[in-house]
Amino acid sequence: MPDKRITINATRYDPEHDEQPRLQSYEIPFYDESMVVLDALNYIKSHVDGSLSYRWSCRMGICGSCGMMVNGTPKLTCNAFLRDYWPRPVMVQPLNNFPIIRDLVIDMDDFMHKLKSIKPWIIRKQEMPLGAGEHRQTNEQIDDFRQFSECINCMLCYAACPVYGLNNEFLGPAATALARRYNLDSRDQGVKQRLPVLADSEGVWECSFVGECSVVCPKGVDPAKAIQQTKLDTTMRFVLPYGTRE
Amino acid sequence: MSATEAQSAPRVYPWRMPVNWWTRSRHYFWYIVREFTAVPLALWLLWLLVEIRRAGDGPAHYAPHSSLAFVVFSVIVLLFSLYHSFTFLSLAGSILHFKLMDRPVSSNLIVLSQFAMWAVASGVIGFFLVWLGR
Repeated sequence: MPDKRITINATRYDPEHDEQPRLQSYEIPFYDESMVVLDALNYIKSHVDGSLSYRWSCRMGICGSCGMMVNGTPKLTCNAFLRDYWPRPVMVQPLNNFPIIRDLVIDMDDFMHKLKSIKPWIIRKQEMPLGAGEHRQTNEQIDDFRQFSECINCMLCYAACPVYGLNNEFLGPAATALARRYNLDSRDQGVKQRLPVLADSEGVWECSFVGECSVVCPKGVDPAKAIQQTKLDTTMRFVLPYGTRE
Repeated sequence: MSATEAQSAPRVYPWRMPVNWWTRSRHYFWYIVREFTAVPLALWLLWLLVEIRRAGDGPAHYAPHSSLAFVVFSVIVLLFSLYHSFTFLSLAGSILHFKLMDRPVSSNLIVLSQFAMWAVASGVIGFFLVWLGR
């Protein structure tokens, strides 16, 4: 297919020269049916315009670095095949709901602060000595939180969430899903440390269940479910204070 | 952030939510419809409070609103109410989570049980309304 070509319209923004982002069009060869949007960006960077800036790393849907808006939908560009768009042009924009640093690169500081605030690690009241052996879990206990542990922090869910777009104080989908992952872990004892962040007015209660976060998740995580379940749990903890899990 | 840090920090282009964001996806549009069905529902319930107040003053003072416009409005509100209830109960599988005999109850079963309880409750209330109205 030497003559097959595809048009990529990519957002360009140079903070030193541009007042606002603009679209730039690139027509590139579509030489392989397995080409993904990230391949197209890499082709542009290598052969057409070396100044195009974007994040990427693993190219395998694991690192979560290459999330962008592809024709208006948040996607991992390493998992968005050009054959699904050709012969129509493909519009590649930075993730919605985040400030733009340059071209397709967004400022993810806000998400990183939120992620840290929910303490996404196992918290123990008192560490067991190494000699006491490992923390054993049954398959059923792992199943309780397994799907939430699949989150790769790609932030597609934040780009899909209009609640976060309208109010960036909202804790958001991925941070809540990860908080739920640890709260459901039988080895964890940090629920009460995460509760003030989760139950805050800008925490789970800000969510009005649009549900798009779960639709766009490339790893099949259901953050909307995590948020609604956390709402129920925080309510039950309020109503039944003696029924709480330590 | 100090003044020096602020000067050296890169200038970012802030995100601005477009006013028409809810028209950009079918999913967003139906979400907004779902949320706004609550507005006429609330208006209808406010009117119900007025009717209850009137009924409290005795049969002589009670004159229920029975104009054609109000009947049409009530039918529309009923449809909104059914839509709102349907979407809410459909989401129950995501909200409720519990185990039976150490096994998690499936989301589908939870949703079905919600609809079944809805049907039973509607039947019981309907029966009493008909029975009391005879």
